[in-house]
Amino acid sequence: MLNDVEWNALGLSLQVSLAAVAASLPFAVVVGYRLARGRSRLLWLLDALSSLPLVLPPVVTGYLLLLLFGRHGPLGAFLEQTLGVRVAFTWLGAALAAAVVGFPLMVRAIRLSFESNDRRLEMAARTLGANRLATFFTVSLPLASRGIIAGSVLAFARGLGEFGATIMVAGNIPGQTQTIPLAIYSLAERPHGIEQTWRLVGLCVLLACAAVVASRLLERRTHA
Amino acid sequence: MLEVQCSHTRPGGFQLNVRFSTDQKVVSLFGPSGSGKTTLLDVIAGVMRPDAGHVLLDGETLTNTERGIHIALHRRRIGVVFQDLLLFPHLSVAGNLNYPRKWGRRSKSPITFDKVASVLELSALLSRRPHSLSGGERQRVALGRALLSSPRLLVLDEPLAALDEPLKSRILTYLDRVVHEWEIPTVFVSHSQAEVRRFAAWCAVLDKGSIIAEGTPDAALGTLGALSLQDDAAPANVLRLDDVFRTQDACVGTVGGQAVRLPDLPPKALGTVYVHFPPESVLLSRDDVPNISARNHLRGTVVHLVGQGTAVFVGIDVGQIIWAEVTPGAVRDLSIAVGNPITCLIKAHSLRVLE
Repeated sequence: MLNDVEWNALGLSLQVSLAAVAASLPFAVVVGYRLARGRSRLLWLLDALSSLPLVLPPVVTGYLLLLLFGRHGPLGAFLEQTLGVRVAFTWLGAALAAAVVGFPLMVRAIRLSFESNDRRLEMAARTLGANRLATFFTVSLPLASRGIIAGSVLAFARGLGEFGATIMVAGNIPGQTQTIPLAIYSLAERPHGIEQTWRLVGLCVLLACAAVVASRLLERRTHA
Repeated sequence: MLEVQCSHTRPGGFQLNVRFSTDQKVVSLFGPSGSGKTTLLDVIAGVMRPDAGHVLLDGETLTNTERGIHIALHRRRIGVVFQDLLLFPHLSVAGNLNYPRKWGRRSKSPITFDKVASVLELSALLSRRPHSLSGGERQRVALGRALLSSPRLLVLDEPLAALDEPLKSRILTYLDRVVHEWEIPTVFVSHSQAEVRRFAAWCAVLDKGSIIAEGTPDAALGTLGALSLQDDAAPANVLRLDDVFRTQDACVGTVGGQAVRLPDLPPKALGTVYVHFPPESVLLSRDDVPNISARNHLRGTVVHLVGQGTAVFVGIDVGQIIWAEVTPGAVRDLSIAVGNPITCLIKAHSLRVLE
């Protein structure tokens, strides 16, 4: 069915997108909750910062990430020296790009979900003796589960399709950072390569459908 | 012992200005909608911080704006049953009932899950979700959940407002059981005189943000102040009948030493019974009326005379207060005046029994 390059691209795409979603989810929940509930005057700044990747061209996002996380960038150098972890031009870089680009979508869905929660339910939990933290985890979060699932699926799908930022931060190294979109790009550049891309294109469509179906099933289970 | 003093202005300009203290176990805040009773309840429960005032429960300060004290909601130990109940939709009935024990304060309390489930008859509902329950079942779950938080004070916001008549009396029975079983001090908000008289030992009547009468329900609701309220709080008759026993075809009880006949009752309802009937169903007569089908002839003294619109409400003391609604013409023709003796004629079938 698939050749080695295609298998690698598929495996890497899944790994990168899943890692991106897993790593950004806690931050997205915190930011989404703050935006929905916070009273600080600086919320507009948080809002602007968290939606920036949505409006910036992905290439620019990738460029900025490279400045930060490259070997000589402040964060990149720090991580390499203290933890021995390289981000730029590894699969971690691809995951970072996917996470940042998918973040605004995730935050938006989660924020809307928190906003539509009945806040009086949280008040009821407090009168029953639960402190703020317990109330958040036992009432606010479960009630926002729909939005959290929807946001995660959206970010996952966005991660699968990530191209511009990924190629800047992670490059296009087969077997290491070459995800499906990058593989399609490489193939399409070759003479007669365009005919070979259909399998990867089909794979993308299949993955997108699977993500949508999975999210519907999850939503149904959480609100049985 | 509950002591509350509170003044608060809501954004719309509505002003609440009240002060009361009571050591009765079952307390009611009574008044028409918009009188400020729910705001007052929010202040007691700690949901809202008043502009100025204090709340003292059994000597402990829960709120004192002057001293900057406002005990956090989850530390107050006040069990609240909100008007919209606020059951957690993502948890089963058992999950809702267990919530305070699982996530709230730990305390040794005589109120156990099994006991609450049996007193409120919840055992069959435990695995259900709130949205699949009927209104009365939800009410019981919310009450049970509040009880399982081991409250020092139970606060109920219009616990019966959303229910129809038969359900109301059933929930009242449950409330009675709860109060007797655990003797938890209870404050409840109501705009029904029947509920207040049936259930409260002490009540404060609120109108337009201030307390216009307070004391025992009979005293507080029997004053003129209560009559200045709007229509939904117009006078209602609720009588307590003692020593109810059964004859061949009817039941008989007593009010102030006078016999009252009522329709036949199921055997278990005998003893003390509450009945209610509308003021317009009461006929007044200056003399005895021997040949008339109305079974109940209660002699008393006129104690109140209050005009309200085109009607006059006459308050008669027959041992308890009965209100009769008559026309101004009738008042003139019968020369009804405060202090005069009068007879109230009430059909047995006008009396509705509150279970």
